[in-house]
Amino acid sequence: MHKRKEQLAPYLFLAPGFLLFTLVMLYPIVRAFQISLYQWAIVPGTASKYLGLHNYLRALHDPIFWRGLENTGFYMAVTVPAQIVLGMLVAVLLDGKMPARAAYRTLYYLPVVTSWVVASLLFRYLFIGQGGLVNSVLHTNLNWLGQRWTAMLVISILGIWKGIGWSMVIFLAALQGVPRELHEAAAVDGAGAWRRFRAISLPAIKPVVVFVAILLVIGGFNVFISVFLITNGGPLDETQVLLTYMYRQAFSFLDFGYGSAISFMLTLIVFTLSLVQLRVFRRPAGTA
Amino acid sequence: MHHRNSIALFVIAALAAATAATASARVETTHTTTITFWDAYSSDGPEVQKLEKVIIPGFEKTHPGIQVKDVTIPYDSLHQKLVTAVAGGQLPDLVRSDIIWVPELANLGVLQPLDKAMPDFGKWKARVFPGPLATNYWKGHYYGLPLDTNTRIYVYNPAALEAIGASSPPKTFAQLSSMSAQAKAKGYYLYAESGTSCWNVCPWIWSNGGAITNKTYTKATGYLNGPKSVAAVQMLVNLYKAGQMPSIVVDSNAGVGTYDGINQDKYVSMLDGPWSFAIFGAAFPKVHLAGSQIPAGPGGSKSVVGGEDIVLTKASKNKAAALQFLRFMLGYGSQAQMALAGQMPVLKTSAKWLTRVHPYYSTYLKQIGTAQPRTPTPKWPQIDQVFVTQIAKAFQGSETVGQALTEAAHQIDGFLK
Repeated sequence: MHKRKEQLAPYLFLAPGFLLFTLVMLYPIVRAFQISLYQWAIVPGTASKYLGLHNYLRALHDPIFWRGLENTGFYMAVTVPAQIVLGMLVAVLLDGKMPARAAYRTLYYLPVVTSWVVASLLFRYLFIGQGGLVNSVLHTNLNWLGQRWTAMLVISILGIWKGIGWSMVIFLAALQGVPRELHEAAAVDGAGAWRRFRAISLPAIKPVVVFVAILLVIGGFNVFISVFLITNGGPLDETQVLLTYMYRQAFSFLDFGYGSAISFMLTLIVFTLSLVQLRVFRRPAGTA
Repeated sequence: MHHRNSIALFVIAALAAATAATASARVETTHTTTITFWDAYSSDGPEVQKLEKVIIPGFEKTHPGIQVKDVTIPYDSLHQKLVTAVAGGQLPDLVRSDIIWVPELANLGVLQPLDKAMPDFGKWKARVFPGPLATNYWKGHYYGLPLDTNTRIYVYNPAALEAIGASSPPKTFAQLSSMSAQAKAKGYYLYAESGTSCWNVCPWIWSNGGAITNKTYTKATGYLNGPKSVAAVQMLVNLYKAGQMPSIVVDSNAGVGTYDGINQDKYVSMLDGPWSFAIFGAAFPKVHLAGSQIPAGPGGSKSVVGGEDIVLTKASKNKAAALQFLRFMLGYGSQAQMALAGQMPVLKTSAKWLTRVHPYYSTYLKQIGTAQPRTPTPKWPQIDQVFVTQIAKAFQGSETVGQALTEAAHQIDGFLK
């Protein structure tokens, strides 16, 4: 009897979290999959037409879906490494002794707590073609947001600027857990700062780097607000990302079936990528 | 200005008195009923102020027991919000809906046909202009009543017009083209357009004698890509390619918007609705806008019908009270208050007093006489997206105007089936 209770205890502790997960994650995912198989009638109580995998095939033959996937991939590929490298750099700098350290930490973290809406609109005005501040300062006349790759670059820069603080805080916490004695011993042996970072700090915080990388990849694939507010996928759908395209299908065209298919495919991609990342980084050090 | 205001105030006072006298069938209840009203009235100008400070308090005073909770939503978000509310079964009692969404909402089956719900529907139907009324009609029933109507006219800054050396706004397509070159030489853009949706380009297509679809709205091929439609868009594309039209027509991020551009003395003119005068009055009082008819082509001067309808949802639990407010919004007092804020009334009798509220309304009244509706169909959002994308291609030069419009017509045919 006593043993049975002990066995039950962990589940009881897990239950509230799992219930919440089921309610706000699992149920919507299952429901989205269900909707994606239909020509979904949005009014409750009306019949929807079953389409099977039609919405998925439609996406595979939709050039804008592929462009959205490319753009999403571009955003992820640019913002994830940049946030890790720059976040690490700032964390290492702020880990050392320096005057006004707390003030700098706050400053670097400030963009993280700034509203996406406010930052996106500000970036839009900074990079606007005629009369934008950036063109005025650089003495250029570039239509930053009117061309696919420059627009994606601007959106990526916003993502990096806004994200550095978050990875910095996590790296900083991890770095502070690295024993000082190791650094001191290595310094006595004549190792320079870079060598100490590579040989001591980096291996010690590797699990944290993996964790940050996975979360950033997931976040990168979910880019939405900045694109929605800065270009809204335009001009000519050149800067569509998966979520803005999904949003238009669902909320402008009431095509919730197709929209759900797109978002479900995004879920699958992110899930697969996270699994691969975990597998790759789980290998013991030295075998990679 | 003072003189004009005092006339306007007199008109309003007289009309408000008339409304109070005709206010009928008050709801006699001891408890308070709250009805919710969603709208996209502009808070840049005086519209929201009029609604919240004048109209709703006026209604609540004359209709004890009913409270109106208005929820003002930015226009760009209202459609999404309505869709979400439909799916969640959370629609409000009343919605001030853009006329182009009414067929879509009616088709979803979430609106109460007013010709069934209002015993006095016939009376109200007879009071409003037939054009705006028609935008409420879908498959045999009227799903709403018009609340305000509008159209776009040629709105310009007379000071800038003088600066480019012109004495009057362009009256024809030919004058628009020649004056655009003249403006460029002086460092101005004569005409700025902020997009390639139907709202933006259809006035030019219709004025050139072109069309979007056939009369029964079943086919676009042969109409949208007909020679007259193509020539109209070609004229705009030529202006753009000659550097005489700002690139915000293809990409809103390429430069400053029409209002800012006119305020900053970069653009001379735009096509816009009556709210622009109210918004400039509040935001850019140094610019004194003037209006004239859209430059005429071989088809005349034909603009696009805009406006809002007021619709009652099936989900409303307080239909009687909601209809009281609906009637109040169509009353002379409310209509005149909103006229002061830049919203054109829909009452037939308003033609008599509207130009005394603001002189610019006379240009709008004339323009709306020949204005055309956009295709009434539940698929309008998709069709308008075709306009946006395909015509932008013609501007960017990745397709000729003929190619772009032929593809557009082909896609639109698919939505009209």
